[in-house]
Amino acid sequence: MFDQTLIRICLILGSFITAGYILRRVRLAKVQIEDTIFWLLFSAALLILAIFPGIAYWAANLLGFMSPINFVYVVIIFLLLAKQFFMSIKLSQLDSKVRILTEQVALNEEKVERDKLDL
Amino acid sequence: MSKLLIVIPAHNEEANIVQVVKELTTNYPQYDYVVVNDGSRDKTAAICRAHGYRLIDLPVNLGLAGAFQTGLRFAAENGYDCAMQMDADGQHRPEYIEPMLEALEEGNDIVIGSRFLTVKKPKTLRMVGSYIISWSIRLTTGHAICDPTSGMRMFNRAMVEEFAQNLNYGPEPDTISYLIKNGASVKEVQVEMGERMAGQSYLTFWRSVQYMVKMSVSILLIQWFRKRDTETPYPERSL
Repeated sequence: MFDQTLIRICLILGSFITAGYILRRVRLAKVQIEDTIFWLLFSAALLILAIFPGIAYWAANLLGFMSPINFVYVVIIFLLLAKQFFMSIKLSQLDSKVRILTEQVALNEEKVERDKLDL
Repeated sequence: MSKLLIVIPAHNEEANIVQVVKELTTNYPQYDYVVVNDGSRDKTAAICRAHGYRLIDLPVNLGLAGAFQTGLRFAAENGYDCAMQMDADGQHRPEYIEPMLEALEEGNDIVIGSRFLTVKKPKTLRMVGSYIISWSIRLTTGHAICDPTSGMRMFNRAMVEEFAQNLNYGPEPDTISYLIKNGASVKEVQVEMGERMAGQSYLTFWRSVQYMVKMSVSILLIQWFRKRDTETPYPERSL
């Protein structure tokens, strides 16, 4: 019984630290709001699992897990994997945007220099 | 009369852009406009150049917030007194610019062209999102905004500068709720809107759901934690 309480306290702490940190970044205008939604929902999910352990017991029983905490792990791993996947796609898009922008800047620069040479 | 800039963000609007700009230039030549091409994959930019429209051509796609911010930076740098957003799909009718401008000159910071100020908002599935956002803004600010998702918004000089320089100032209802909370005066003016003339709407069902989640979390939770800083210029450059 004791270790379950400890795990729940850890989950609640983790949830509050995540939410607190990300909201602080918003306050300082250091992050875009659309990028914070995932982390707020993530910390909400942790909080719900910690406050209502019945969900983990029910789901573990349903899916045939040995222990309810395994369900909590699976949820966290799944969410982080999904985030990793979408970040990978976003990173790839950003990469191509930087490439296009760099090309554009260089081409503009060349145009300016060519005009100067013509004079 | 105040010097107004109409910002027309355009993403893949080759079918509509000519009609929209032509309507403005022939019937309302007293207003300046600028088309911001948001990295369109179709011929939007080429059509604008061929017709000699005033065009800002973004080399990559930034999304509506980035395209609109570009227009507002243009307005701020070129000394406009106020700016408004006008969709490139023909939904926003220019005959309502004048009443909106009058409302702005009464001393309001933001004027929203609202479809549902005197007209009852229909109880359809499409309007569920609008109801939720209206209710969220009412709950968190105490102000009634009848048509928060209307894209037809006009901003005064102070707002133009604030929008042009800061992070998290997208032209969306959550920014409006944040500004109301910080003392900006927002007024709505009744307008009618047409249907999109041609082409595809950006909002699919799945995107609408995403948009709603983002707006609800943002208005109900995140906006409480934001700090308004109009002193430090260009905070986004110090990320």
